[in-house]
Amino acid sequence: MSLSNNNEKMSIGRFISETVASPTRIPFVVVIAVILIFQLMNPTFLSYQGLVTLVYSMSYFLIAACGLTFVVMMGSFDFSSISVMKFSALLCVLYIDDFGLWIIPITLLCCAIIGFVSGFLVAKLGVPSFMATLGISIVVDGISLLMSKGFLHLMEHEGFRSISTTFIAGIPSVFHWSIAIWVLCAVLAATTPFGRRTYAIGGNARAAVLSGINLDSQRIQVFMLSGLLAGAAGVFYMSQLGGGSVEIGGQMMIPLFASVVAGGTSLRGGTGGPQNTLLGVIIITWIQSGLRMMGTGMETQMVILGLIAIGMSIATTDRNKFRRVIVK
Amino acid sequence: MSMVNRKKSLTILSVVKNYPVIIIFFGLIILFSILYHQRFLSPANLTATLRQFITLMLFSVGPTFVMLLGSMDQSFIGIWMLGSAFLWLLTPIIGPVALLVFPLFGLVSGLCIGAIHVKLRIPSFILTLSVLIIYWGLTAIISKGNPRNVPGYSFLTDDIIPFVPTPLLYSIPIILLSVFIVKRTKLGTYFYAIGSNEEGARLAGINVEKYKIVAFALSGLFSGIGSIVLFQHLGGTVPVSFSMNNVVRPLIAIILGGTPLSGGRGGPQRTILGALTFSVIYRGLYLSTLGAEVIDLIVGLILIISIVISSKGGELRGVEVA
Repeated sequence: MSLSNNNEKMSIGRFISETVASPTRIPFVVVIAVILIFQLMNPTFLSYQGLVTLVYSMSYFLIAACGLTFVVMMGSFDFSSISVMKFSALLCVLYIDDFGLWIIPITLLCCAIIGFVSGFLVAKLGVPSFMATLGISIVVDGISLLMSKGFLHLMEHEGFRSISTTFIAGIPSVFHWSIAIWVLCAVLAATTPFGRRTYAIGGNARAAVLSGINLDSQRIQVFMLSGLLAGAAGVFYMSQLGGGSVEIGGQMMIPLFASVVAGGTSLRGGTGGPQNTLLGVIIITWIQSGLRMMGTGMETQMVILGLIAIGMSIATTDRNKFRRVIVK
Repeated sequence: MSMVNRKKSLTILSVVKNYPVIIIFFGLIILFSILYHQRFLSPANLTATLRQFITLMLFSVGPTFVMLLGSMDQSFIGIWMLGSAFLWLLTPIIGPVALLVFPLFGLVSGLCIGAIHVKLRIPSFILTLSVLIIYWGLTAIISKGNPRNVPGYSFLTDDIIPFVPTPLLYSIPIILLSVFIVKRTKLGTYFYAIGSNEEGARLAGINVEKYKIVAFALSGLFSGIGSIVLFQHLGGTVPVSFSMNNVVRPLIAIILGGTPLSGGRGGPQRTILGALTFSVIYRGLYLSTLGAEVIDLIVGLILIISIVISSKGGELRGVEVA
């Protein structure tokens, strides 16, 4: 009798730990908690106006986060996302008069080339991805500064602006674009050989090589994809805001990185994916806009986001599974 | 064995072979002396180069310990920033004793980072980056965004010998202590062992987890001790503006010196050379007519090139790069 009781208790405990606290479910729990907290503190949080603001600040962020997710899924890291985004936004605004809307493919090509360089450094020259992309980000930042000469540039091309500011079904079109790109990324990760190869490298690079995956070319492709998506994020950023200075600096990497891990893509690689990143982006942008509505400063936001980044990377790592893996 | 090694290292060729950065160092000095023959070797510029060297060296002495293990510690700037904020809070209450807040805070911070990294298995670069941003935010919150002036510590930089910056005199024992720890104690040997092959070190009976935490604690402690000098050296105020450049330049000095990102080689004694070389490069660029953004660009390129060269070593074959 007591034995069966024990078993039942065990199974309830296991039920909780498997459904609520398991690394894959944590994002859902956090989303609900975040909505409840901010809705209680600020009743206008879930109004139509609040949602449109949220959609605006979330969309370009989601695109860049999808790109970073592929790299993190592979067990690497891309520090240059924010710099590439800034660079692409600047390219658009500076050269739209010369090229018209053709500037968009040209910009995306440039960003993919930057991604190729990072991938080449990581794959062919054996540089750890974090430092390689850190160096790339400094160089790209320097180029951006040289091009902009420190001035504020305004985008006055109506056709370019209308890409993201047209309202369709009551929601700005930038949201439809970003959701479309997110679906593409999720399909790419979940159903194609490209996605499976990326997961395989993240799970165990050596095993992936032994099973016939071309490690170097796959790594370069993933970094190119990340650069491309960061570039697309920059294009949408510029067409949505029409100018303004992009918040500069490595600290902006923290919200981006936090939203990837908050979605459930472990830094160890091999788990998660872009399909989860949507939730992470929702969590982080809702926390950010909730804090902003409450009037907290940029610094306080950074402290809270930094703590969330550390907390979520601890929560989404399955420690029992990787006991023998060396973490540097 | 060590006798043989010592004899070998006396020949100039082997020194150059072991420390290729020496060639770059002297090459750059000659190059810049020719380019700006009046200005580069002037006492004012040499003093400025030394001041730059002190900043780089004191910031990079702590992270070198962690880099030896193949991990990464970027929190040193945060220790300097938040420590200064604590100093501003504590000086009116307990006087100059408040300087001790730097090493204490560094030690506690290093211990916590090490424990989180080792026990909860978070990659160190992203953990310390997040910690750095948190410290920056806390500094701005404490000082309310103003660069608060902390008076009463100018004795730290008062001239003792003309043309030699006083912080240089203070930094010599710090550097010597760090070299002693790495070269002459059991700790140093273990750091090298863990850095070159962590699994091997574990199988040889080294308590890897413990020594990793010790490395992070040492890194925090040395960053704290260095910050005592750096605080006054860099203006004597609470720093509030955050720039990734401050984080990257000491890392470049470490890598240029010959401590690769994969760990297991190098050490503080090599970082001295790297910091010297980088300060010469930086002063040379500064004396030229290039704009600040071009200098940033060149610094980024130097970072990439030095990492590529340092990770090209033959021992790295077959090691997975994340």
